[in-house]
Amino acid sequence: MIYELQIALAIGAALFGVGLYGALSQTNLVMIIMGVELILAAALVNLVAFWRYLHPEVIPAQMFVLIIMAVMAVEMAVGFGIAIARFRSRGSVEMEEARELKG
Amino acid sequence: MSLILLVLLAPLAGAVLILSLRKFSEVTALAAIGISFAAAYGLLIAGFGGATSQLVLPGLPEMPLRLLATPLTALFSALVATVATFVLLYAVGYMRTDPEKPRFFATMLLFVTAMQALVLSGDWITMLAGWELIGFSSYLLIGFWYRRTGVASAATRAFIYTRSADLGLYIGIFVLIGASGTTEISATLTTTGPAAVIAGLLLLIAAIGKSAQVPLQDWLQRAMAGPTPVSALLHSATLVAAGAILLIRVAPMLPNEALLATGLVGGVTAVVAGLTALGERDLKRMLAASTSSQYGLMLVAIGAGVPIAALLHLIAHAAIKSSLFLGAGVFQHDRESTDFDALAGSGRARPKIFAAFTISALALAGIPPLAGFFSKDAIIAATLEAPGVIWLLPLALAGTVLTGAYMARALGLLWRGNAGSPAGNVVWMGTGIGVLVALVVVLGAGFAPLEKLLEAELGASILAMALGLGAALIGLTLGWFVPMPRLLGPVRPWAQRGFVVAGGFDALLLRPAMMIAQGCEALERRLYNGVLKFGRLNLVLGVFTRKSDERGIDAAIFAFVARTVAAGRKVRLLQSGFIHKQMGLTIIGTGVIIALLLVAPLFS
Repeated sequence: MIYELQIALAIGAALFGVGLYGALSQTNLVMIIMGVELILAAALVNLVAFWRYLHPEVIPAQMFVLIIMAVMAVEMAVGFGIAIARFRSRGSVEMEEARELKG
Repeated sequence: MSLILLVLLAPLAGAVLILSLRKFSEVTALAAIGISFAAAYGLLIAGFGGATSQLVLPGLPEMPLRLLATPLTALFSALVATVATFVLLYAVGYMRTDPEKPRFFATMLLFVTAMQALVLSGDWITMLAGWELIGFSSYLLIGFWYRRTGVASAATRAFIYTRSADLGLYIGIFVLIGASGTTEISATLTTTGPAAVIAGLLLLIAAIGKSAQVPLQDWLQRAMAGPTPVSALLHSATLVAAGAILLIRVAPMLPNEALLATGLVGGVTAVVAGLTALGERDLKRMLAASTSSQYGLMLVAIGAGVPIAALLHLIAHAAIKSSLFLGAGVFQHDRESTDFDALAGSGRARPKIFAAFTISALALAGIPPLAGFFSKDAIIAATLEAPGVIWLLPLALAGTVLTGAYMARALGLLWRGNAGSPAGNVVWMGTGIGVLVALVVVLGAGFAPLEKLLEAELGASILAMALGLGAALIGLTLGWFVPMPRLLGPVRPWAQRGFVVAGGFDALLLRPAMMIAQGCEALERRLYNGVLKFGRLNLVLGVFTRKSDERGIDAAIFAFVARTVAAGRKVRLLQSGFIHKQMGLTIIGTGVIIALLLVAPLFS
């Protein structure tokens, strides 16, 4: 059983790594958001794994997962909203070109 | 129109007319005074007929203004009108070349109005108003040549001397009104008891001030700074007479104590002012001192209880002294001075004027049949029968001797010396003098009807006549033959300083007042300096506060702001606007936090 937990954690870590790499390496805003989604998904996998294999009797722990999923949905909506708005105004979602926020 | 009103309004209208037109001032003045003169004589004639007219004008509530023409007041009024008329006639010549003639004649007319209001007053309020107005207009007249040195101060001195004595009149009148409950003069004269004594003494003070009696005799001589017609009008027959007129009118009320005080004041003045006149070096000032002395004799007569004698002397003196003053004015015109040294011999140059002057001088000394003889006799006769005969008789006789002496001395000084040549024609002046001297000569005959008119006949007294004539002759002889320094002897320096006692008012009042003033000034200066120092302190404090505000609080706040801005400038360099860099930083930061969380348990 502990192996199963480790496997799940390994998958979560892999997902996190993929997401982090994606977020940092991609220049397209949509791709960066997808990377961030993967990072969150990795966190979801970890949470579910910990619940399933360590404290399956605590049902309310699943509430964390549901909240994170809601956050992912909201974040995606906001992120894509920004992407669409930027595309409309600038015709591009390439983040290398977006330097307006420089201090 | 009522004659009383005409007496008053004619000169007043004349004054207003002259001041508004500024032309024809002589004609207007003579016309106005002529109408007033005629009206006054109308009153007098009515008075001889036994008529008494009274004019009640609305005044203060329950205190109407009354103008009263009894035989006595009508007589005063006629006297004032007569002297004023001839003085103005003379002034036409005297002021011929003065550029400010209108002001002169207007003020003279104003003065005459005020004086007529005073003598005709039937209540104390009118009397007071007239009294104040003559004081005021005399101030204007004495100071007429206000540009000359010393004239303004002489006018001020006269004003202040008489004003300070006027306080007696005010309080005396208030006492009388308070005691009797009415302002009508004739009604208040029934006052008796302590109120009468107090009021009498207070009125005496007022009379002392106006009539230049001891101890307030000094102002009259200084008042000679005015034009000579002014001296003749104000200081012989009207202004100075106001004091005596006041006392004559209230004489029926005066109790024995007040009478004695009046007599003594008058007697002392007669002697003191007589000595002053004898020692005087200036003709006009000598005449002024003589005026004081003659009014002293009148006060003696009032004090002796025979006001009618004072009245007769007042009338005689008015004519005599105004003609003397007018004569002096002619001599002054010739020599441009009133100093005896400068006037020596000027009598020879104008024999007619000098003759008139001599007649007046002899009349003043009391030589029959001139007016002064009768009036002076009446005074001496009065003192003979007075309760205070031991005091009053010697003083009156000494005053008479001195009168003869100083008049003779003046005649001598004017006669002896180089005649020189007279300057110009003096028709107007001569006319004025001539009429007045004629009055001096014939007035004596008019005294008997006057006595009858006033229902106070004086019996002739051989003793008084002998005494008076003897004293006058002794005085005249001494004055003519004995030089003044020998005559006065050790008293001379005193007399020439006007009998200044213990430094006089200068030392007794002026210097203490000045010292108080200087003390006050020093105190004020100190206070001022204190306030100034306090102010400076506040100023320093203010400057300090401002600087601390600018350099302390403001500077600290600005420095904080500047540093914050600088720090912000450095920090914003981190903001690249490059999203990957931000994310990288986020991850590094998260890594640091996780590392710390992992490391922390190792140290706990």
